[in-house]
Amino acid sequence: MSTAPPRSLAEQLRSWPDDRLAALLRQRPDLGVPAPQDSTQLASRAAARPSVLRMLDQLDRLHLTVLEAVVVLGAGCTGAQVREVVHAAPTAVDDAVRHLLAVALLWGDEDHLRPISILGDLLGPLAAGAAHAPRRTPDRVRELLAEISPQARAMLEHVEASGLVGAVEQADRRVTPERARTPVEELLARALLTPRDHRHVTVPPDVAIVLRGGRTTRDEVTGPPPLATSERDRALVDRAAAGAAGEFTQRVELLLETWGATPPAALRSGGLGVRDLRAATALLGAPEEVTVLAIEVAAAADLLAIGATDDLDEAWLPTDAFDAWRAQDTAQRWSRLAHAWLESPRLAAAVGTKDGRGRTLNPLAEGAERSWAVDTRREVLTALAALPDGRVLAATTGAASLVTHLEWRRPRRPTGREELVAATLAEAAALGVVALGGAAVHGAALLEGADAAAAALAPLLPPPVDHVLIQADLTAVAPGPLEHELATKLATLADVESRGGATVYRFDAGSIRRAFDAGWSAEEVHTFIAEASRTPVPQPLVYLVDDVSRRFGTVRVGAATAFVRSDDEHALAELVHDPRTAALRLRRIAPTVVITDAPTDVLLATLRDVGVAPVLEASDGTVRLARRDTQRARTPRRRTSPGVAQARDAARVSAVVTAVRAGDRAVAARPTTATTSSPAAVLSQLRDAVESGRSVWIGYTDNEGGVSERVVEPRRVDGGWLTAHDARSDDTRAFALHRITAVRPL
Amino acid sequence: MTDGPLIVQSDKTLLLEIDHERAQDCRKAIAPFAELERSPEHIHTYRLTPLGLWNARAAGYDAEQVVDTLLTYSRYAVPHALLIDVAETMARYGRLRLEKHPAHGLVLSSTDRPVLEEVLRAKKIKPMLGERVDDATVIVHPSERGNLKQALVKIGWPAEDHAGYVDGEAHAIDLVEDGWALRDYQRDAVDSFWHGGSGVVVLPCGAGKTIVGAGAMAQARATTLILVTNTVSARQWKAELLKRTTLTEDEIGEYSGAVKEIRPVTIATYQVLTTRRKGAYPHLDLLDARDWGLIVYDEVHLLPAPIFRMTADLQARRRIGLTATLVREDGRESDVFSLIGPKRYDAPWKDIEAQGWIAPADCVEVRVTLPDGERLAYATAEAEDRYRLASCTRVKTRVAQELVAQHRGQPTLVIGQYLDQLDELATALGAPVITGDTTVKERERLFEGFRTGEIELLVVSKVANFSVDLPGAEVAIQVSGSFGSRQEEAQRLGRLLRPGSGGKTARFYTVVARDTVDADFAQNRQRFLAEQGYAYRIVDAEDLPA
Repeated sequence: MSTAPPRSLAEQLRSWPDDRLAALLRQRPDLGVPAPQDSTQLASRAAARPSVLRMLDQLDRLHLTVLEAVVVLGAGCTGAQVREVVHAAPTAVDDAVRHLLAVALLWGDEDHLRPISILGDLLGPLAAGAAHAPRRTPDRVRELLAEISPQARAMLEHVEASGLVGAVEQADRRVTPERARTPVEELLARALLTPRDHRHVTVPPDVAIVLRGGRTTRDEVTGPPPLATSERDRALVDRAAAGAAGEFTQRVELLLETWGATPPAALRSGGLGVRDLRAATALLGAPEEVTVLAIEVAAAADLLAIGATDDLDEAWLPTDAFDAWRAQDTAQRWSRLAHAWLESPRLAAAVGTKDGRGRTLNPLAEGAERSWAVDTRREVLTALAALPDGRVLAATTGAASLVTHLEWRRPRRPTGREELVAATLAEAAALGVVALGGAAVHGAALLEGADAAAAALAPLLPPPVDHVLIQADLTAVAPGPLEHELATKLATLADVESRGGATVYRFDAGSIRRAFDAGWSAEEVHTFIAEASRTPVPQPLVYLVDDVSRRFGTVRVGAATAFVRSDDEHALAELVHDPRTAALRLRRIAPTVVITDAPTDVLLATLRDVGVAPVLEASDGTVRLARRDTQRARTPRRRTSPGVAQARDAARVSAVVTAVRAGDRAVAARPTTATTSSPAAVLSQLRDAVESGRSVWIGYTDNEGGVSERVVEPRRVDGGWLTAHDARSDDTRAFALHRITAVRPL
Repeated sequence: MTDGPLIVQSDKTLLLEIDHERAQDCRKAIAPFAELERSPEHIHTYRLTPLGLWNARAAGYDAEQVVDTLLTYSRYAVPHALLIDVAETMARYGRLRLEKHPAHGLVLSSTDRPVLEEVLRAKKIKPMLGERVDDATVIVHPSERGNLKQALVKIGWPAEDHAGYVDGEAHAIDLVEDGWALRDYQRDAVDSFWHGGSGVVVLPCGAGKTIVGAGAMAQARATTLILVTNTVSARQWKAELLKRTTLTEDEIGEYSGAVKEIRPVTIATYQVLTTRRKGAYPHLDLLDARDWGLIVYDEVHLLPAPIFRMTADLQARRRIGLTATLVREDGRESDVFSLIGPKRYDAPWKDIEAQGWIAPADCVEVRVTLPDGERLAYATAEAEDRYRLASCTRVKTRVAQELVAQHRGQPTLVIGQYLDQLDELATALGAPVITGDTTVKERERLFEGFRTGEIELLVVSKVANFSVDLPGAEVAIQVSGSFGSRQEEAQRLGRLLRPGSGGKTARFYTVVARDTVDADFAQNRQRFLAEQGYAYRIVDAEDLPA
């Protein structure tokens, strides 16, 4: 490294070793997309407003204060000076300076720090005033302060306390200390207040620093303010969170399982309807916020997406991934959901609120994205995970202190932080990431990734049970999470009545019939129940299964197109076995009834061929005498009435004529020399035409690249568009100015 | 993860595994705040309801204790939302207090200004309140004490009633424990009632509710008004009181359709109190006839609506409700809570049975198949006639005959709903029949005969559902009922649960027509029995031993 300070940021970047450059690009990934051509371009990007703003948003209060101090002290200040004015521990300030150099918000070196020039505009009033402010020594400022009246001093302190800027009439008036009559003039005369513009004054940085006791801030900014905590057993937090995690996972599974069978329609906007949301809320038996969260998280985890139903309607359906997900154990299932939540830019709490246009935001619809959502979740989780063992966020004051903490971590965060933090905490609790105000062990592990979280959660979850307790009131209680296969089978055989740590199933005739419909036999049902139950199967349940089985299938239903019936069973038997009727695929369903898929006319003809004399029965069972229908064609309908057609023709012709006439005029007005007007000339000629109200000839290239010549009456020119009455189409149109190749007044 | 006996579900049900070694402790711990919903053989279900939680608050439990109990006994993590809900619900109780103000009489006060303001703005409540005394206190019209409490429960801000009770006219009543003694659970019931001030005691039929009433009277030692369902029941109360207490014939009055006596202890029927003449209740004065120190409501689940309204005016007197089940088919449980008082005591039937105080019962459902002719009639019948058709099938008579024959020698009741059917049964079985038309005298004669064993078979209509003491009934055959009434089922089973000679197992048969609405209703009732812990069997009529 050369001892001489670099002359520009570009030069400095050029001199950096590769790893340092790589570190910069990791911290500010936007600088590398697309790859810059050289260091000059990289430096110019690094100093560009959007990129700098992006970086500033990720800085905490300490870094911002240090940056502000450098701007206030001016280019060329030293690390020692910065340490002096920043109200923080010197080592923390040094670290901050080093970080700011690494991310190229500062350049130069410790003895000669230079801020990126645009920072003056971005860091607030203190930094904004720095560029043109007088730089006086603190002693000189103190002398000046001693000169002014108490009223002036009070006013100065008031302006300092209320954001360094005050409104004053004629702020830029010139006064001298001798002539100053009012407190404001006293201050202005001594440059203890400096005019910012005609109506505003500001406290210059040197004065502000003196007023703040020689520092740029009154408050110490070394580290974040501590969180308000209370004591809580670590194991209890983990247990409560694991319970919530299991429950949330169960809810998502139940929801998607239900939606797989009866999918809710997708709104045209892509969201989910309010009615479907209400139904889902009732299904899950959870508060609406939790239901919304379950829906949003399922979508974020790619378990739910828009697809086409069998009727080809757009609907929200579980994805293929859902089947794979469902086969996993609870910890894995949860970790996928929780990780998706952590990384999702959508804020579930935004659902149900009104957007800018007063429309209520639906679940899964666009508009719930919040750029800060991911960062806030990570910050909240990090802050909670960092609490010492056995401490959790205090029940009442904890959330507020967390907000203050985040304010220090990300001071430039936009408004609504309280709501965002509250929503994040509530969501995290519903998901089982945190509980009782503390991050659970698996919640903290989430920061390391989904797998770590799953591994941490697994031992906290109750082991699956392989049996149920069946009771005489026809309920079966699973005293814990059931093994997947057992749960699926039981769900076919019985209805779930209560969910949670345990599941209560109820058997009734309907549920047993459902199992028979699914292909179970009575014997299978008995065997399954006997195997699944740890206790003797109560007699009423056995009876119920047999009772349903006795009635199951006593009435059978099928489809047929026609039937043949006869009291002569032998005749029917002959018919069924006659090779000539094979094509009819006759099937005998009772001694006297045969059915077929063939239509009656075919059936009749075939039977007659075979030599049977069939009689046709009407739907009420009476005999219908066959009579050959004489056939008719359908009367053709005329498409349109003659009058309408005539009017249409007339209109078409007049449009063509208008176009042709306009074309003629345009050709006549074509400039003799093929000169293209310059954009400036085009604009001024059009403006003239608008003012004078005359028609002009224009050459115009349309969207498809076709060149046309038109005569138009310009009405308005603004925003790159010409609005004019076009004679060719006899309509008012907008023309893009850059497509107008030439203009000629008529 | 602890290995507790309790599983707390997010839908606010609590599942208690009763074979668990800590199940008994857990049951005792959760009973004060959770309502026992069902108690089948392996897992009992309790439910957390606002009423139950407020009951617990009224009994001196706080949210911390409830939460702690749940956490202590829970096998899995307790849903956080549920704990919050418990705390919030319990915090609502007692924000408002009904108190005696030295200057203004009865007042409603609160330390929580917003709650008071919210309540004062409720439309239904405003008319019950008088002048504002200060920011936190408002006068209550004394006559509205009950109505106000009822209305406050409805809007979710139950008031704590500190206004106290009047002692009433003192009257010496003592239990005469010669050769018998209050059972432990009866004493517990009396004590919990007395400490709570007013409330309801839930005990199964045959568990000696009358004695609990007598015990309460002995505690109060004051004039007592006893409200019962009918005259027969009134006479039984009287007989029981004479036997168990120091009260003499002259001290007990009966106030019914036939006799109108007002004595230090007066037993009145609901019916006479609710008799209307020209739009007024002429017998309501009874309530003010004396300065009653205690009011006993028998079969509180049957308390008719007018009595509820009257009870609202009796809030300054101690009240005890007695019932076998708090299930009201009209769903007015919350009125019982706010007007008579919270549940002060209950015990699962099976527990009392296990202690030998009530007879064990064996419940059997007998399924009969309608003959083809009746099946067709049933299929084509109007919906409202179907139940009657199915209930009254002739096949049931035959089955009843078989069952009676099988239990010859044991006191047997045949219970039904429809008079034609009962008459037919009586003829077929050659047994006397008791219906609403039977005179009280005749009824008592028959009951006495049944009690002494002279008569061993009785055919009864639903009039026998309530408060008829038939100590010897060992077998009951139910042929029809009022649709799926669970209350009725409980009462009928109760006929059998009085411990008979030698602790014989009672038999409870229900004859049901298969594949009809009768069977559907039967299922409803049976589910209730199973939930009370009475396992039942189903047999086909064809399989009955001849």
